[in-house]
Amino acid sequence: MSKFGVELEVHIASLRRYARSLLRNRVDAEDLVQEALARAISRSDSFQAGTNLRAWLFTILHNVHVNQVRSRASRPDEVPVDAVEHRLTTPARQEERVEVREMMRVVDELPEEQRQVLMLVALEGLKYEEVAEVLGVPIGTVMSRLSRAREAVRTKMANGGAAAGLRRVK
Amino acid sequence: MTAHKLKDEDLHAYVDGWLDGDRRLAVERWLADDPEAARKVEDYRAQAALLHEIFDPVLREESAPETQELADKLKGRIAGNDNRPAWHAKPWVRMAAAVMLLVSGAAGGYFGRGATSPSPAQQQQRQTLLTFAEEAAQAHRFYTADERYQVEMGADDPGALDSFLSQRVGKEVFGPDLSKAGYRLIGGRSLPTDLGAGAQYMYINEQGKRITLFAGSAPAGQTNNFSFTQKGDVATFYWIEGQIAYALIGRLSKDELMGITKAVYDDVKAGRRLAPPPQPSNPEEKNPDQQRREGEQGNGVQPVSDTHKPKDS
Repeated sequence: MSKFGVELEVHIASLRRYARSLLRNRVDAEDLVQEALARAISRSDSFQAGTNLRAWLFTILHNVHVNQVRSRASRPDEVPVDAVEHRLTTPARQEERVEVREMMRVVDELPEEQRQVLMLVALEGLKYEEVAEVLGVPIGTVMSRLSRAREAVRTKMANGGAAAGLRRVK
Repeated sequence: MTAHKLKDEDLHAYVDGWLDGDRRLAVERWLADDPEAARKVEDYRAQAALLHEIFDPVLREESAPETQELADKLKGRIAGNDNRPAWHAKPWVRMAAAVMLLVSGAAGGYFGRGATSPSPAQQQQRQTLLTFAEEAAQAHRFYTADERYQVEMGADDPGALDSFLSQRVGKEVFGPDLSKAGYRLIGGRSLPTDLGAGAQYMYINEQGKRITLFAGSAPAGQTNNFSFTQKGDVATFYWIEGQIAYALIGRLSKDELMGITKAVYDDVKAGRRLAPPPQPSNPEEKNPDQQRREGEQGNGVQPVSDTHKPKDS
């Protein structure tokens, strides 16, 4: 059985999750993934077998995202009003825990560059070197952004941090 | 043990699971002496758990047809000589991929493995078992989050469930009786892990609280006493008994979970398998019926039991 097929599916599922964490809006996130995949198809010649497929795909998605943000900045009225509605992705959950709401708010307040690093590391499980490659920054920058992001979230989570919040719920 | 001075970066690498044995132990020693650093680690882990809680549901969503079309096209372009175009178009493969991503997420990515430098065998084993426990906890998080996906096969006939899961795992496993602890077996499913297919048994108490027992094939010759780990609010006890690795997981305090762990341990030790299962001949046949009964079809989730296949390839 082709391991490759599953590997690619895994990466695409991962791209979709990452895109959602950046954009929160389901439609925009799906658009971003589609545009990234289209670009990957047109550049598939540049992918070398045996190299890091995940980093290659995330790099493409990141570049597409940067371009989209840039072009959206020139059309500021296009920001969707209902983004907030779409961003919570847990349909079956009736009540949403305080920590979850807090976390969403705090993550939203992070500078984009810190949020990207946090999501790539803590959500997608990329290695630090991979994150550096994807974002096109030195690894030292990755580490300092990661550190700042985690500390910012920690400080801003109510009642002394996420763990305290989780403990409170039990 | 190295003479390196430990830094903030080591804390992050520790949380993210990128440290090998020596370095990991060094950080653990540091954490034991430095409550502030230990709190940081706990908070960073809780952050990751929350991010997964918020965004993992995306993995369960059906992707847009256009996305899937592009994915298939890309597959064709990159794989080139992949001469099995049909199989990966099946929905279960996509679901399997999503579940694999979820279950392996804690350990730093299934396909990212193998790049870490080798460490002494003992630490390797310890890491393997910890990975197993983390996978089990991820599976708990995933399958207790949404009632639609709880079990692959119900516990109406525990014998059939046990033989189905034993066959998947390749070793005798069974769902212990936890009624003394107030928990009732509701069913189970099989899932891929680092150690091959694992069996997840799910229990529920009168308050609707769920715990899961995860059983997998233990690496040969490995033994392990009870270990405890916690990620966010999900607590896990894990150990090896005989040739089986166990992980018991719940959103419970350490003490509460410890009590149940003892019940599991006693039952496992006693070996409850006194009589052969009612239908030992072909448990597979039972499966489709069971799935229908669980009302899972249509969600594209039932083939999860097949997720071990890609790993075997």
